[in-house]
Amino acid sequence: MDVGELQQTLDKLHQEAKGELAAAKTLDELRSVRSKYLSKTGSVGSLMGTIKDYPPQQRGEVGKTLNSANKAIQELVTEHTDRIGSAEVAADAAASTAFDPTLPGERTRLGSVHPVTAVQWEVEAVFERLGFTIEAGPEMESDYYNFEALNIPQMHPARDLQDTFWLKNGMLLRTQTSPVQIRAMEKFGAPLRCIVPGRCFRYETIDASHENTFHQVEGLMIDRNVSIANLIAVMKLLLNEVLQREFEIRLRPGYFPFVEPGFELDIACLICNGKGCATCKRTGWLELLPCGMVHPNVLKAGGVDPNEYGGFAFGLGLTRLAMMKFGIRDIRVVNSGDLRNLVHPARWAGPVIVDKG
Amino acid sequence: MLISVNWLRDYVDIPDSLDVRALAERLTITTAEVEGVEQIQTGASGLIAARVVSVGPVEGRANLKKVELDLGGKSASVVSAAPVLRVDELVVFAPPGASTLETGEIKSTTVADLPSEGMILPGSAIGIPAADQDAIFCPPSMKPGEAIDQAMLEDWVIEIDNKSITHRPDLWGHYGIAREVAAILGKPLKPYPVADIDELSDKKLPEIPITIDDATRCPRYSGLKMTGVRAQAAPLWMQTRLGHVGLRPIDCLVDLTNYIMADLGQPMHAFDGSRIEGIEVGLANDGETFTTLDGVERKLSAEALMIQSNRKSVALAGIMGGLESEVAEDTQTILLESANFEASGIRKTCAAIGLRTDASARFEKSLDPNNTVLSIQRFVKLASAEFPELQLASRLSDAYPNKLAEITVEVDPKLVARTMGHPVDEKQMIDILTAIGFGVESKDGKLSVAVPSYRATKDISIQADILEEIARNVGYDNIEPRLPEVQVRHFAANPQHITERNALRAFCLGLGYSEVHLYIWYDEEWLKRLGFKPQAGPTLVNPAAAGQEQLRSSLMPGLLQAADRNRFHADAFKLCEVGTVFKEGPDSKNQSRHLGLISARRGKGADDELFATLKGDLETWAWQMLGCELQYEHAKDEATPWTHEHKTANIVANGTTIGTVSVCPLAMRRNIDEHLAAWSIAWAEINLDQLHDFRVESKPLRRVPEFPEVELDFSLLIDATSPYAAVNDNLARFDDPLLRRITYVGAYEGKSVPTGKRSLTYRVLFGSPERTLAEDDVNALKASFEKHIGGCGYELRR
Ligand SMILES: [Zn+2]
Repeated sequence: MDVGELQQTLDKLHQEAKGELAAAKTLDELRSVRSKYLSKTGSVGSLMGTIKDYPPQQRGEVGKTLNSANKAIQELVTEHTDRIGSAEVAADAAASTAFDPTLPGERTRLGSVHPVTAVQWEVEAVFERLGFTIEAGPEMESDYYNFEALNIPQMHPARDLQDTFWLKNGMLLRTQTSPVQIRAMEKFGAPLRCIVPGRCFRYETIDASHENTFHQVEGLMIDRNVSIANLIAVMKLLLNEVLQREFEIRLRPGYFPFVEPGFELDIACLICNGKGCATCKRTGWLELLPCGMVHPNVLKAGGVDPNEYGGFAFGLGLTRLAMMKFGIRDIRVVNSGDLRNLVHPARWAGPVIVDKG
Repeated sequence: MLISVNWLRDYVDIPDSLDVRALAERLTITTAEVEGVEQIQTGASGLIAARVVSVGPVEGRANLKKVELDLGGKSASVVSAAPVLRVDELVVFAPPGASTLETGEIKSTTVADLPSEGMILPGSAIGIPAADQDAIFCPPSMKPGEAIDQAMLEDWVIEIDNKSITHRPDLWGHYGIAREVAAILGKPLKPYPVADIDELSDKKLPEIPITIDDATRCPRYSGLKMTGVRAQAAPLWMQTRLGHVGLRPIDCLVDLTNYIMADLGQPMHAFDGSRIEGIEVGLANDGETFTTLDGVERKLSAEALMIQSNRKSVALAGIMGGLESEVAEDTQTILLESANFEASGIRKTCAAIGLRTDASARFEKSLDPNNTVLSIQRFVKLASAEFPELQLASRLSDAYPNKLAEITVEVDPKLVARTMGHPVDEKQMIDILTAIGFGVESKDGKLSVAVPSYRATKDISIQADILEEIARNVGYDNIEPRLPEVQVRHFAANPQHITERNALRAFCLGLGYSEVHLYIWYDEEWLKRLGFKPQAGPTLVNPAAAGQEQLRSSLMPGLLQAADRNRFHADAFKLCEVGTVFKEGPDSKNQSRHLGLISARRGKGADDELFATLKGDLETWAWQMLGCELQYEHAKDEATPWTHEHKTANIVANGTTIGTVSVCPLAMRRNIDEHLAAWSIAWAEINLDQLHDFRVESKPLRRVPEFPEVELDFSLLIDATSPYAAVNDNLARFDDPLLRRITYVGAYEGKSVPTGKRSLTYRVLFGSPERTLAEDDVNALKASFEKHIGGCGYELRR
């Protein structure tokens, strides 16, 4: 093929390519047209390999001719890439007008902790920030730790108040988390700051407000010069943090053998803000937790010298607190294992639009 | 316990202007919890005493009586519904024109065709609800037509929570409460009004012989005989006060002992004096029967303490008198007992015979032994006003073999102020203590505090007790809260707590499980449905319900029950519980903390998928929280109905078996019911106690290789019965300097895999830190790995 014929062939290929590129509707189609002409084996690209067949004096011109043909097609490809690209952008924009960016997201189905656990973690966080360690103790407990070491000897009337689940093997189900006071003192000695969340058991009839199985968190602080003023401050801080509101609290005398003096701590009624309602029996106060200054006999039982150290202790009803926080009216829900009661519907179903309880 | 404010006013000046509710609130904060405050308003006016002249029937109306009354110079005829009316007795009467809130104004009217000119008032109309429909009788000292003082009928009643005074024997009567009120108001407490018996006694009067066999059970016994008493009504003021505190007026003698019990807290008992000579206090004979005055014959054990006379039981000490020696209508002589009994003995006996009385409830609080004599003196004072012929028939006889020790507590005022965290000076402390009856001496900067007997029986013995007296009277609301100042101390983390919190975080916050709390005892009914017979474990003496005796040894029965409950309301769910399981033996070590997991989905046939995803969840948790990979061992020893015969693996972490993972066999699901049979359930149970030593160590992250690496996938055809772990072990033996990593990709059974075979795919990564691998290197490595596979006896799937 002489140079003139070459030029004619290239012109024809250029025309063909031009038509095919104009017909391409997608970038993929465009790419295959480009490849058909310009790749190594394409109809223009393959001619590049024929340069060496020409006499040396013509090779320069042939090269130029081929290059300019190649370039011309490449330019057409670029032009049509822009055309198809812009069309895609326009189509994308048109398609997006129906998009609602305000729809809720699609959720990964997560699990949920029990309401009592949720409150327990909040209480733990408050005390961890105050430098308390978190301890644990056994649920099947001995008479010694549950009663005797806590200054509740045999025949003490306080044993009547603590209706106990007794086991045939002589052990019992702990009626309170307080036995861990003794265990913690045995483990760490003084000074000591710890809390003990855990399950407790009382032999009583179950109804909407009584459970035989419930959670408490015990608190114990032993140091030199621990005062009632300290106890009040820590309790106030705890409740304000966990309930996320400033609360009036009050202490009044309460009798528990393992503390002296012992207190009942009341908070201003959450329902009526202290004005008096049915929930608070018109007193404006809700009984929340027993507390007090650790009895010297209890310190002694834990191996701590009461002449050197003193401290405060408290027992917060976690189940009660969880009920207050989550608005659980019937305590039987807590141990039911029924997820309808324990998991908020929004967690699984998606956002709740109307909620009438 | 109910407290009448009128009654308190006998002992302390309570200003009329003082709001009783405010006083009640101070009592709550300072002394004992007030449960309620009630104003008693009868609105009574124009009431008089009237003498019953005759009582006749009303024709056709069995519940009504026609009564003629003497109104003192006048007479009246009324129709009355009062159940008991006796001729000559005086009743509280509302003539026409009189009124009460309950009845409204009384008018002359006609009842059952008979004229009725007024109304014989029932107890409820004048604030004695315990007497309800009964007429209220007046004492013989009143005259027909005498006006009734209306002021005593109006009162306030404060209800004290009994639980808040179990440790305070002094607060079981009005005088003790008055002492607290006086301290709160800063007013003096009036002396307790008593008769001087010495002055009344004739030296020649006999002693009552009193023998106490058991001085521990009965530290003190005092008695006094008197004559000239008779059956009659108590004074109206006493009846109303008893009514206001919830006691039913009965008869002057009974009312007197009840009144003193509510006044001083000391129970007393009046025997018919003609039937009792001496008093012996001793234990009952085992199996002895005794009829108490409620008419019940009771069988006693040798632990019951008895009051005997001439070796004949006359009372169950401190609990109830006997029927035979009871005061009767014709009694003219009484022997008044006022004794002190030891608390725990009374509690034991009450529990043994199943009888608790107002008296025993008080003795259980450890009463002040000094009240025995005081209450007798009080009785004589009150009785002599009611019985003009009253005469002492014995000396005040008092056996007190077991004297209450006097308690003096050494108190450091500085320590008290420091423990309160509130500035209180010595003078303020002395004032407070003195106001509530403590004797205080100040010496060398210390206080020597003498505890009054009514606080010394068990309530107060150490410095902390005195501190409480001071602090509560200062008022806890006056103490300024202050956070403690402490020395920092580091505590080693509790591994149980950390392990459990991490498990809940991983499974419930991350992996989609919902935490539940379930009971720690098995439910026999449910176990029967599961077809499970647990091994012997700890059992409850007093289960919450029959069939719930045994403590659980596994979390799974409870979780499966929860799953069965939840399947009604969901098509798929995952449950998680962290809880205690138990082994038999009297040691707190025989329990461990377990993690239980359930993954359930409606529809049969998803077993394998749930099993695999549950294991994936376990592996994620293990990687995050334990810092290790899990291995599984084929578990052969099928143990429980919820364990699948074949689809069960032991979970192994760092060489320790930490639990089991399995799927619920169809047989078990079918045992529950057809609905559960149509579900797929996978489960795992892990012993968390074995994980305390696991630590997540930070593993060094890989550098991006400098020279490109080559990844090759190999699929092996192996016998479906040969375990994955063995294949791994074999592959792990391949060694080459250019090998970087072998990872498991997945398993495949189905098309293009012959039956009886399974295809396992592994990805092998080759690379060099020095150069890019050439095509020849890769071909050689591929050939070498394939040769290794062949050497292990595995076929390659092309
Ligand atoms: Zn309220």
